Amino acid sequence: MKRTIVPMGPQHPVLPEPLVLDLILQDEKVIDAVPTIGYVHRGLEAMVERVEYTEMGFVVERICGICSFMHGMGYCLGVEDIMGVEVPERARWLRLIWAEIARVQSHLLWLGLGADAFGFENLFMHCWRMREEILDIFEQTTGGRIIHSVNRIGGVRRDMSDSELVAIVAKLERLGQAFEETARIFRTDPSIRHRLSGVGVLSREDAHAVGAVGPMARASGIRMDTRLSGTYLYDQLDFEPVIETDGDCLSRVLVRVREVTQAIGLVRQLVDKMPKGEDHPLDTKVRGLPNGETFIRLEQPRGEVIYYFKANGTKYLERFRARTPTFANIPAMIKLVKGCDLADVPNIILTIDPCISCTER
Amino acid sequence: MPNPFDLPMVGRTLRNLVSRPATRRYPVEVRAPFPGSRGTLEFDLDTCVLCGICARRCPAAAITCVREDKYFAIEQLTCLACGVCVEVCNKNSLRLSTDRRAVQTRADAGPDGQRPGHEEWHKQDAVAPVTAPAPNDATPTVGSPAQA
Repeated sequence: MKRTIVPMGPQHPVLPEPLVLDLILQDEKVIDAVPTIGYVHRGLEAMVERVEYTEMGFVVERICGICSFMHGMGYCLGVEDIMGVEVPERARWLRLIWAEIARVQSHLLWLGLGADAFGFENLFMHCWRMREEILDIFEQTTGGRIIHSVNRIGGVRRDMSDSELVAIVAKLERLGQAFEETARIFRTDPSIRHRLSGVGVLSREDAHAVGAVGPMARASGIRMDTRLSGTYLYDQLDFEPVIETDGDCLSRVLVRVREVTQAIGLVRQLVDKMPKGEDHPLDTKVRGLPNGETFIRLEQPRGEVIYYFKANGTKYLERFRARTPTFANIPAMIKLVKGCDLADVPNIILTIDPCISCTER
Repeated sequence: MPNPFDLPMVGRTLRNLVSRPATRRYPVEVRAPFPGSRGTLEFDLDTCVLCGICARRCPAAAITCVREDKYFAIEQLTCLACGVCVEVCNKNSLRLSTDRRAVQTRADAGPDGQRPGHEEWHKQDAVAPVTAPAPNDATPTVGSPAQA
């Protein structure tokens, strides 16, 4: 049968980001897909050679506009690890609180985009309305809605008062209750079920084989979450990763729906367990220059991110590398796209939660 | 098999018909910025001693400071608003302000091909900051602002 090649992207029907897929079709079936990346490469990793290690964190944050907090935090954790800096207790808890709020924000954004992709524009607006309130929390506490710039090597730059934290938890729980109604729509609406159920099934074995990470792996039944390793105070939290077993597009949506509620619960736990009071130090003064190398793993909203750092005793790092979750999930996406209908391609692409800015840096 | 009559969105949609809009009528109704919002960078020429620490520490290289020429410039569109310069300034000449500024376009590019958002100060004659010319003053550099 005759084959057709449909170039999908960089201008996109589903995604504002320039992912390019050359879809090779036979009739309406996709038989192969060739991804191309490189449209938003900004050379941020190479900037470590020109920007001092103390300020590079603010540049690293700009790798992505959605997981910006986690990128900044990962950079600071890496340099602190190389330099052996002890971060004050309260700063460590504050970082995790912001990280979990960022997860809520990211998932709400994605659920909205996902709803838009499967043609449920009304639901998209409901998700984004909730996200707006989370962004207000960020602007109140960090000074920025998207780019927070609160991490610094040795700690954080801003504190949240105890009363502010209580108010944030109350606001998040109110949002969580409002979100329950939206979550019920995602779970039960027949049109969503009809559109997503059984589409793009990634089996547990395949997810292992292609190295899927984050919600993508958890939707295929793999109990995998970097937070389970217990680093960065996660061992002090009562927490079990959200797992779905079907591996289809609907499972990937439901994992993220449940993780929103879970992240709100984690913020409550963090606020309950963190040291209270006003006079806690927020950062340790960093002296000297970094020398050595290290790896840092973090669980971003999209999945596991790995940072590699190499310092050579000067004020510029020698090498900085970030392997972002989207990069790890692209092989899984290609696997899913092969054999599906052309009409399902946008949903499959979107359910890996792709971030091309992260991937290309 | 899902029940085709279970339509959880319907109740919500009907409620939306009678509830207030979630959005603001923006230019009429402006939300006040939260205290501590970072906003944009502002500079005070009178207190600055042109030490240049801010320019060296700026991660985006958005600040130019030449002591010999008594010249100081900020590229507002390059600035990340991270606040490092504000922290390191010994004379408190820099601050982050949430005052709203006029939108800048390519037509606001400087006469010497500076990008829109370019602001510069000269200490010698202590002139007021050159905040980009008005659009009708636009010179032939319009359309190619970054060539300099």
